[in-house]
Amino acid sequence: MAGLNAAWVTSNYPGILAAQEHVRQATKAGQLPKLAFFSDAQAGEIEAMTAQIIPTDETPGAREAHCMYFIDRALSTFAQKNQPAYAQGLQDLQAKTKQLYPDAAKFSALTSEQQIKLLTEIEKTPFFNMVRRDTIIGFLSRPVHGGNQDKIGWKLIGYDDSLNHKPPFGYYDAQAQSQKG
Amino acid sequence: MKQYPTSTEVDFIVIGSGAAGGIMAKQLSTAGFSVVVLEQGGWGKYGREHEYNKDEWLNLNLSDDDRLMSDPTKQRNTFRRNEQAKAVPGSHSYGCVVGGGTVTYGGSSWRHLPYEFNEASYDPTIPSGTGMADWPVSYEELEPYYTQAEWEMGISGMKINSPFIAPMTKDYPVPPVPLKSSGALLNSAAAKLGLTSVRGPLAIISQPYMGREACVNCGICSGYGCQVRARSSSAVTMLPIAEKTGRCEIRVKSYVREISVDNNGRVTGVIYFDSQKREVRQKAKAVVLSANAGESARLLLMSKSARFPNGLANSSGLVGKYVMFGNGAGASGLFEHPLNEYKGVISGAAIVDYVPSDPKRGFYGGGRMTARGYLTPFELGLGGLSPEAPRWGAGYKKALQEEANHRMTISCFVTQLPLETNRVDLDPDVKDEWGLPAMRITSSSHPDDKKNMEFFRQKSIEILEAAGAKKIWAPPVGDSRGGAHNRGTCRMGNDPKTSVVNAYHRAHDVPNLFIVDGSSFVTGGRNHPTMTIQALAFRAAENLIRSAKKGNLRTSL
Repeated sequence: MAGLNAAWVTSNYPGILAAQEHVRQATKAGQLPKLAFFSDAQAGEIEAMTAQIIPTDETPGAREAHCMYFIDRALSTFAQKNQPAYAQGLQDLQAKTKQLYPDAAKFSALTSEQQIKLLTEIEKTPFFNMVRRDTIIGFLSRPVHGGNQDKIGWKLIGYDDSLNHKPPFGYYDAQAQSQKG
Repeated sequence: MKQYPTSTEVDFIVIGSGAAGGIMAKQLSTAGFSVVVLEQGGWGKYGREHEYNKDEWLNLNLSDDDRLMSDPTKQRNTFRRNEQAKAVPGSHSYGCVVGGGTVTYGGSSWRHLPYEFNEASYDPTIPSGTGMADWPVSYEELEPYYTQAEWEMGISGMKINSPFIAPMTKDYPVPPVPLKSSGALLNSAAAKLGLTSVRGPLAIISQPYMGREACVNCGICSGYGCQVRARSSSAVTMLPIAEKTGRCEIRVKSYVREISVDNNGRVTGVIYFDSQKREVRQKAKAVVLSANAGESARLLLMSKSARFPNGLANSSGLVGKYVMFGNGAGASGLFEHPLNEYKGVISGAAIVDYVPSDPKRGFYGGGRMTARGYLTPFELGLGGLSPEAPRWGAGYKKALQEEANHRMTISCFVTQLPLETNRVDLDPDVKDEWGLPAMRITSSSHPDDKKNMEFFRQKSIEILEAAGAKKIWAPPVGDSRGGAHNRGTCRMGNDPKTSVVNAYHRAHDVPNLFIVDGSSFVTGGRNHPTMTIQALAFRAAENLIRSAKKGNLRTSL
């Protein structure tokens, strides 16, 4: 999330580390982390959005990766300046839900097909793109930040996070090496 | 570290600590001169590189002290395609930290080929009306300094005898980094097509060298600071030596706004803003300007005086003109098996057959085709999938899974003709965060440059086909709007009417001002400038030291 308040991060770095520790401890104990920014109702809406952006199918998705918790932590630490945009976006989501489905109480109560239809209508809005970006970052960032639980995201893309690699790296250089030697 | 009171007149101020500034500081201080380096950026992790973390999320949220690149919302700049257009906010950015752009660059360290110094004289494909001119330096003159730079910095690679590669009198100090899958695929395509695929030289060491550890292929590379100090940046090679002399002070967060002169037209020092935006004056016997082509030109244009009403060293009117930001083209493809390009350096192999211009193509242009495919997890997830892949939902997730690690990209680094109409100057309306005129970029590539980019786009597709890609896509060619490869704004030459500095980087108009960075480039080469900037800096330093030791820096250089 380029453009977040960098100076704020430095001054609050111990706080961020504490927040990460909190997430880690909570996950270890098999409990869900406590919400720091979203209300329970808001959390349900955002989680439903993240679960449509990276759905759960044969493999786990954004929900299991805790992308919503990642966003909640981000909004209460790094990304505080995005709080108003999230608050407004959630209101707009509620309005859009009412417009398309007058009987529905909230976005997360819609069927999956209805959710996809609604999100397709708003997929070019800054709010949707912000949630998309934050979901993907939460899915693929280090688990210490609250998302990518059990390295779900990294497993999906086959990313080895050891940060220390020896050749052969991939199929084709291995093949070249074996032909050579 | 040595600290000089600002009231002390030091021998040299060096403005900028990047590819050229780091070398100038090291060479001048080890020769016995007192040096103050004024760096616009912060320390980064200078001296504690192990603290560079490999966490993408934290790296996107760096503090002002730790950030590595300039911030276009503070170091504001504007852009327009031509003189008639109104400039709009630009995104030009460059290395802005102790060590400059060498802290984060991919490390490509290609020498210019001999003919790249005198193409204007012999190449019949060069269109008329451009600023193509011969350099006042030949490859033969520069060759020993390339070797010196390669050995002092620590460049990995292999000496290759080929008409498409600059001849070397001495091999590289360390062997090439490991072959990647993109390199292996490039090799097999080249073999099929009868082309020349080679391992490229890199400022990343593959073995321990001069007290530094070898690259561990962590994969968080270009754009990031190197945790193991394997990238041969100015910050881990030159500046620590300069500092150890006890004669060199590196002063960070020092943003120079003026190079000052006396009534005789000689430089007396500089005025800069410190970290608190307080004005500070530092006196010096001579100034070395190494702020990068864009910023060096801008600072000269801001340094107006009664004697130099059009900006310092600008009697030719050419300061800022002939800027070249760098052009590119390329294509990407997906392959059946995993390449795992995220491991290791960003690029290690290249096809070089199209480096020379060829009259048969019908336009002037050449370039180098490099194999890559490197995407960090965020880069992959946010924008690294093939164009038809959905942006979200089940289709997105499927594409993420299937395309990850299967992609290879050919990125071509190509020529850009120097044009007088392409320039940087001072924006009349927009000010930067310090209240100084923002850099205004005016740039449109020559029609031949565009034909050349399209040629390389097509060649990239052919090579990916020959390599066996299952799916290929190639974005339409664009035109540069800025960027860290900026060159050519204070071109060197023997005639003060048609150039800004002489063959040894001394400003024609100002005897004790030396401009040493990519701004001196007369032509752009194949858009891999750093090795030549470094060789020129070693050569400039040697000459400057010899002259300075003879007498008074101010008058008899």
